[in-house]
Amino acid sequence: MRKRNIKYFTHNLVLAILAFIWLIPIVWLVCTSFSDYDGMNTSTFFPKKWSIRHYIQLFHPDTVQQFPAWFRNTFIIAVFTTIISTLFVLMVAYAMSFIRFRARSFMMNMSVILSLFPGVLAMIAVYFTLKTFGLTNSYIGLILVYSASSGMGYLICKGFFDTVPRALCEAAKIDGCSQAGIFWKIVIPLSKPIIVYTVISSFLVPWMDFVYAKMIMNAGISENYTVAIGLYKMLDKSLINSYFTVFCAGGVLVSIPISILFMIMQKCYVEGMTGAVKG
Amino acid sequence: MKKQKGEKKGNIFTDFGTAVVKGDWAVKLTLLWMGAGYAKRKQYGRAIVMTLLEIGVIVFTLRFALQYVPKFNTLGTVVMEKVFNMQTMKSEMNDYDNSFLILLFSLFSFVIWFVAAAVWIANVGYVYKLQLKAERGEKLNTFKQDIHSLVEENFHITLLSLPTLGVVVFTMIPIILLVLVSFTNYDQQHMPPNSLFTWVGLDNYLSLIGGGGLTVTFSYAFVRVLGWTLVWAFFATFTNYFGGILLAMFLNSKWTKWPKFWRTLFVITIAVPQFVSLLLVRNFFSNGGIVNTICANIGLTGFLRDIGMISTSYIPFLSAPGWAHVMIILINIWIGVPYQMLIATGVLTNLPADQLESARVDGATPAQIFRKITMPYLFFVTGPTLITDFVKNINNFNVIYLLTEGVYTTTNQLMANSQAKEVDLLVTWLFRLTQDYYNYKMSSTIGVVVFIICAVFTLLAFNKVTGGAGKESDYA
Repeated sequence: MRKRNIKYFTHNLVLAILAFIWLIPIVWLVCTSFSDYDGMNTSTFFPKKWSIRHYIQLFHPDTVQQFPAWFRNTFIIAVFTTIISTLFVLMVAYAMSFIRFRARSFMMNMSVILSLFPGVLAMIAVYFTLKTFGLTNSYIGLILVYSASSGMGYLICKGFFDTVPRALCEAAKIDGCSQAGIFWKIVIPLSKPIIVYTVISSFLVPWMDFVYAKMIMNAGISENYTVAIGLYKMLDKSLINSYFTVFCAGGVLVSIPISILFMIMQKCYVEGMTGAVKG
Repeated sequence: MKKQKGEKKGNIFTDFGTAVVKGDWAVKLTLLWMGAGYAKRKQYGRAIVMTLLEIGVIVFTLRFALQYVPKFNTLGTVVMEKVFNMQTMKSEMNDYDNSFLILLFSLFSFVIWFVAAAVWIANVGYVYKLQLKAERGEKLNTFKQDIHSLVEENFHITLLSLPTLGVVVFTMIPIILLVLVSFTNYDQQHMPPNSLFTWVGLDNYLSLIGGGGLTVTFSYAFVRVLGWTLVWAFFATFTNYFGGILLAMFLNSKWTKWPKFWRTLFVITIAVPQFVSLLLVRNFFSNGGIVNTICANIGLTGFLRDIGMISTSYIPFLSAPGWAHVMIILINIWIGVPYQMLIATGVLTNLPADQLESARVDGATPAQIFRKITMPYLFFVTGPTLITDFVKNINNFNVIYLLTEGVYTTTNQLMANSQAKEVDLLVTWLFRLTQDYYNYKMSSTIGVVVFIICAVFTLLAFNKVTGGAGKESDYA
């Protein structure tokens, strides 16, 4: 029994140590955000003097720091991206899962091949194209970049749709329901977890993305940035000494809603994996 | 959707051939006027739609495409100049060519013509089918029924057209454009609209592999960046993969007290957006950062200097070659293992319980069970993700860029000549070439090379793991 206890104890101790290591930077982020000092705290791990004035500063924009505007911009972009992406993903997933048509396997193979080529690579060309149409430094350009190709991310959703019992659809068809009717009235209501998953994951894209935002919004003025670009620019060599703590405070404020959404998304993903109709 | 029996399943071209040979005059007229066949069968709605479409393509060609496509082979010859206009007595710009617009809009025109040609071919085949139907005396759809079919048997067309358009415009066309630019000399000296660029054949590829006699030593940097990209992708993938599995098994063990609590702690790290967590870690480990202060205080810095590992008064975690390489991989473990842990946890809960049970009954030790059942099962399920992760890591822009941009400066003059750094991946290198140096020709070339590398790895590996094209159930 004693041996068991020791094993029990060491096992959880190892976990605690690992978790501790994993959380050090996060703890440092939170602590530093409450520091009274503007620049980076380099001498001690915990701030010498605590204060919430950098959180207050976040809501009083200056020439560099426009946090409320950034938050609003990112939110607007995220909402539009979510609407378009979710629709695209659901539409493609439904078509691939429920309908057998001529080009189906061709399109599925094509999407596998295209998805091998990660978006980062095509970005120069996307940038060229957007620039030609005057869509750089605009939200429309960014929304298009985030959502236009989202149809290719249909596989998880299709996997879920595949578990919807076909007998249900057959029955609806006999009752005179059209394909579109089956989509709206039967499949969508059954797919709550996977829809929540899709909504959240596409909502998170503009919050998490850095590359495209940097590329497309780079030349714009500070007020038009997204959160990612705004926070990144604060760490510029000339600004870091006066804005590091503000960066931390902004990082904490952005991370809280995103972390919550992320956790919900994970939960929905697991639920979605167990199938549509539980037997 | 059941296939109608009796109707041969031909491909679009053989359909077209038979239609042209066997069709009546209306089908033959359809070759010229896309609405003809429908007009004859009194399907006026369709006839109007097809006619409008045809007119649209013709107008597009005459008014738009012909401005650009004829110049496609030279990418323009007229340089922008100021000319004095005698009538208005002012200097004006001449009617100059813009190479980039010529390239882009020609490509657009080609895509539209390609689609139009496909529609034209399919249209003839369809009209011929109508003729056969009419000859058999079957009832033809009215226009209203045609429209209605878009929510019935043709619902997939409604569903897929917009997403497909998005993919074509924002993924396919950019990829083709990228390939085209890599065969031109589009760079800072050849920037439209002020100057022209033109085709240079394989020159960019040659200077990448060492030919071409360029003063800029691209081949020198390319070999090193490519090497580090592959090393990085290998280590990043395998450390995360096995780290994630080990952590998941550790958390799943019966000894763990509050598995959910521990799991949440780990997930918090990845729930924080990368641009926050990575930028933070970069300052955490910066030359004058907190970790360096602690290391100096406990004497580690002094010890390392004594044994000759560093020559500076700080530990150059992210600012010296070697150190930075190792640190990047370690930081990537921090940010990547929880992800892999989540995936592995999902797989582990689906372990075949009956097999585990019977193994236990037969007296297998936990180590044996792990080696003979758990590991093969995990590998079978997650094996393909190893490859996709490898490819993703080749293109892992965020980790490298956020950790090193503006912090790491190379001391190697030959690398600096081609704007590369020792810690660059091919993608971060090409990003810098585009954003800061407008060297579009080389970045496109690098992009194409990365493409090829990713494709080769994926195709080779997928064939090995899944034995050809994945079965439908693999995706589920």
